[in-house]
Amino acid sequence: MTDLSPITALGAQTLWAETAGALLMSENSNLGLASLALPKGSLHPSPFDLTLPDVGAAVSNSTYGAFWTGPNQWMIEGYEHGETDFAADVKAQASEAYVTEQTDGWCAFDVRSSDDGAALDALLQRLVNLDPSALLPGCVARTGLHHMSVFVIRRTTDHVTLIGMRSFAHSLRHAVQKAADRLTT
Amino acid sequence: MTRLNGGLIDRNSPISFTFNGMTYGGFQGDTLASALLANDVQMVGRSFKYHRPRGIFSAGSEEPNAMVELRSDARQEPNTRATVTELFDGLDAKSQNHVGPLKYDLMAVNDLLAPFLSAGFYYKTFMWPRAFWEKLYEPAIRRAAGLGSLSMLPDPDEYDRGYLHCDVLIIGGGAAGLMAALTAGRSGAQVILADEDFRFGGRLLAERQMLEGQPAPAWVDNTLDELRAMANVRLMSRTTVFGAYDHGVFGAVERVSDHLVSPAAGRVRQTLWRITAKRSILAAGATERHIPFANNDRPGIMLAGAMRAYANRWAVAPLRPSDAGVAIFTNNDDGHRTANDLIANGAKVFGVVDVRQNAPRLGDYLLLSGSMVTNTRGRHRVSAIEVTQDGTPTWYPVGALAVSGGWNPNVHLASHHRGRPVWDEGLLAFVPSETGPSGLIPAGAARGHGSTEAALKDGDQAASHALAQIGMASVPPTIPQALEESQAQDAFWHVPGQKRAWVDFQNDVTVKDIKLAHQENMKPVEHLKRWTTLGMATDQGKTANVSALAVMAELTGKAIPETGTTIFRPPYTGVSMGVLGGGDSGHDFRPERRTPTHSWAKDHGAVFVEVGQWMRAQYFPQPGESHWRETVDREALAVRSAVGICDVTTLGKIDVQGRDASEFLNRIYANMMATLPVGKTRYGLMLREEGTLYDDGTCARLGEAQYVVTTTTANAATVYRKMEFARQCLWPDLDVSLISTTDAWAQLAVAGPKSRELLSRIVDDFDLSNEAFPFMACAELSICKGLRARLFRISFSGELAYEIAVPARFGNALMERLMTIGADLGVTPYGTETLGVLRIEKGHATANELTGQTTAAMLGLGRMVSQKKDSIGALMSRREGLASDTRRLVGFKPVNAAEPVVAGSHLFANGVPQQTDTDQGWITSACYSPHLACHIGLGYLEHGDTRMGEIVTAANPLQGQSVDVEVVSAHFVDPEGVRLRD
Repeated sequence: MTDLSPITALGAQTLWAETAGALLMSENSNLGLASLALPKGSLHPSPFDLTLPDVGAAVSNSTYGAFWTGPNQWMIEGYEHGETDFAADVKAQASEAYVTEQTDGWCAFDVRSSDDGAALDALLQRLVNLDPSALLPGCVARTGLHHMSVFVIRRTTDHVTLIGMRSFAHSLRHAVQKAADRLTT
Repeated sequence: MTRLNGGLIDRNSPISFTFNGMTYGGFQGDTLASALLANDVQMVGRSFKYHRPRGIFSAGSEEPNAMVELRSDARQEPNTRATVTELFDGLDAKSQNHVGPLKYDLMAVNDLLAPFLSAGFYYKTFMWPRAFWEKLYEPAIRRAAGLGSLSMLPDPDEYDRGYLHCDVLIIGGGAAGLMAALTAGRSGAQVILADEDFRFGGRLLAERQMLEGQPAPAWVDNTLDELRAMANVRLMSRTTVFGAYDHGVFGAVERVSDHLVSPAAGRVRQTLWRITAKRSILAAGATERHIPFANNDRPGIMLAGAMRAYANRWAVAPLRPSDAGVAIFTNNDDGHRTANDLIANGAKVFGVVDVRQNAPRLGDYLLLSGSMVTNTRGRHRVSAIEVTQDGTPTWYPVGALAVSGGWNPNVHLASHHRGRPVWDEGLLAFVPSETGPSGLIPAGAARGHGSTEAALKDGDQAASHALAQIGMASVPPTIPQALEESQAQDAFWHVPGQKRAWVDFQNDVTVKDIKLAHQENMKPVEHLKRWTTLGMATDQGKTANVSALAVMAELTGKAIPETGTTIFRPPYTGVSMGVLGGGDSGHDFRPERRTPTHSWAKDHGAVFVEVGQWMRAQYFPQPGESHWRETVDREALAVRSAVGICDVTTLGKIDVQGRDASEFLNRIYANMMATLPVGKTRYGLMLREEGTLYDDGTCARLGEAQYVVTTTTANAATVYRKMEFARQCLWPDLDVSLISTTDAWAQLAVAGPKSRELLSRIVDDFDLSNEAFPFMACAELSICKGLRARLFRISFSGELAYEIAVPARFGNALMERLMTIGADLGVTPYGTETLGVLRIEKGHATANELTGQTTAAMLGLGRMVSQKKDSIGALMSRREGLASDTRRLVGFKPVNAAEPVVAGSHLFANGVPQQTDTDQGWITSACYSPHLACHIGLGYLEHGDTRMGEIVTAANPLQGQSVDVEVVSAHFVDPEGVRLRD
């Protein structure tokens, strides 16, 4: 275990979290990410017993998840693996695949709503050009958010994860927080 | 007061407001225009060019005259239409475009000068003397141009943006729109109904109409109650759909707080919505035409439909009890409705002047058939009209004049995709054609079905069609019964005469101006518009364009559709820049990227610089340093003598894996990459397709089938995109995978003779000796007790140097650690400014040298373009036009060490005239070198590599500089490269 202390994508020692009305927004720095691409002609692996999903879809079990990022490309998620060499873990599960460490390439913000998703839908309407009624649980889309590129993963009706480039973390947080605040006034 | 009985205003909710400093009263439900009329304020502004008195002309967004400055101080907003400004308590409005009091405008002298201010006058008048144009004429014209004024203060309000999706977007909440919403909503479709008014209903609120045996407003209320109860229907009042864009996308502005003095704390003023609709229904209604006649622009002259709306909806008539009655001038039956409605509401009516010889008698009032209004009187409001019947003019006193020349469907959004409206001879109007935006279905008055009964039916049918097109079944309609109104009209476009008859009120364009344009051969409608400025004001000619076309058609002897059509561009009405910005301003105007060591740099006083979207530490001032140069000199010397650290995370990093990764990179890079051994790094050049330099950087081979490509900061995204294009489109047969890792790894340059010593203190059991880890080596290793890292022995500074990468979350801590444990070595943080000095001293190229027009040969790297393989741009780099370029990158030192070298200076042989044909190159980069204690520069010079020691002139005519410089090697420091290999 290294003796260097990590910081969050927002540059702090502690995770950011805030509520606005029915919305709870929180930074998630413990999300391990690794990209997985298939060599030509190879079979789909099943890392961590996940069935790699089709276009626009995300799958998960209690510990791991995967979402589609491109033809024969996925992002594998380890929900409590932000501090580990998650790419090595994924490579061990899919030795033929091309695996690249992505954990710190991104920042993740979870947004949950306490009103069965109504406030979450309203927030999404302010942030991304996606139809909330079409973005059902298990759906993922890569889209623009305030001129930044993000993945939007609908975990459940009342839970969305926004994954943006780590260097944009402050601007992404600002966009989410501001939009949520405006909904409450 | 000119209030009538009835109306849709709430008389229990009085409102106080000011206009030009005077306090007035109105009621909830009023617009500023209706309240002004109720307070007998007829004159509300001055015209643009002639500064003629102007009054309220319409009751909607087409208003050309009643433009006011609303609010004050930072919230002051010019060119606000009084006719659509919802009255609120505390509203503060001022008239605009006058010098001195509104009634005594000093600029009214322009009206006397009208003969000299005809169409295109400034094109003809300000021709000479030529020098006067820039210094006198243009500034004067610019001062006179424009309406209203800005506060020049920052906008204090917040704006928001958002995205909506629906099956059917209905634009306009009048009879057709409401009926369409009912049908679509009852059928289960996701519906958005948007209307620019603060109250739904459209003309149903403005007419004395019965629907299903009840007044139309009651039907509107019942309909809205039903729509509100539908979860699948979203009602958006105060929302203007201003533009139709590609793929069923519409722009809309919701005025969230414009009906308040100022937005509540934290509440936005307006929201910009991007609405994506599977189908859309344009139910935007129609705009009434006027009929140009002499002096038709006086206050008190307004559109007949507007006067009817003021009477029915706002319970106001534009005349005092002591005034003579209202006259109505019309060519159609609809104008007669105004007379009937005014009478029904208790307003005095003089009579109807109808141009038709056999005008029908539709009410109990004086009817002057076969007559026309040929002139008016009244200084600040109309007081009398001249009616000519059978060639005999007669003056009549009137209190106001209503004009009706028929109705133009609001085709604006239907023409946003260059959809050309078509002429309907039966309707005497342009109607939307099939060439408009895909999926947009016009309905109701917007396509000429303007009677209430027709509009209701058409709205239902439009909804049914929309639903059918998206595969939804519609419920059977229940259309309320309405009386069919008489719509007959004659084609009558303007009253002939010699006096000025206004066509475009806002830009002061008269029939005479159109005649002049015709006389001067500005006949095509686009020429007409530009010559006369017709339709080019803030109202975009909503009340003028068709009338102008008709006048031009008459002059040319052609039919109106042969003369031309006018189409409209977004926005339908003005949109504030603030809301178009979407809500973020100042620092948050655009997103920014921060490096992993941003916090550390900030804590240590770094001065930051924007590099694209990145915020990078530019330099780190220390106490006692009063000038940035002091700081940079210190940092640069520290690197050369000890060790420095710079965050270089911003350089693009692309992970390349695959069985064919080597072959792929061989094709991407101009130089050979496949031969790069595992554990080694190589400098690489990428070319553009046409053979010039595109980007440079290093490529490290971490494994047999894994490389890490680095790019310049500026080209990180574009190189990645280009590589993806090559992978997916050029060579899809290659087995290769790409993904950016720029943000994933914090990368620090550790440079200087003591860099090895510093790094040796953090690596875990790793041999850093020159033998084990030589120049251009790379490795994956661990540091600081187990943290995975990547180490590259590469040097931008020319010193012994490394770049070390760790997961980004540890970048800040690594910086801290290196600074702590390297204190005894004199470790110094340095920023981009010092980075630049170090690389110029070493003669390394960067974006300044890779201009998009430079070649590998110009950098002295021509041999790097491999002849043994093909790569992007290689073949084209050998074409004569590029290969024959003799300019080469060299260094420059001033002959007089005290003189500066300025980047951008052009190079000339000593003593020759400094002009284009003697230009021999230019200085690409320059800095003060603390190492050499003088300014130095890099640049391209013709045959530069063979001219060492020659003195040339670096000229900077912009700043009057001319410096003699000596041509030297571009490598000012360690030209043999001993240090970096040490």
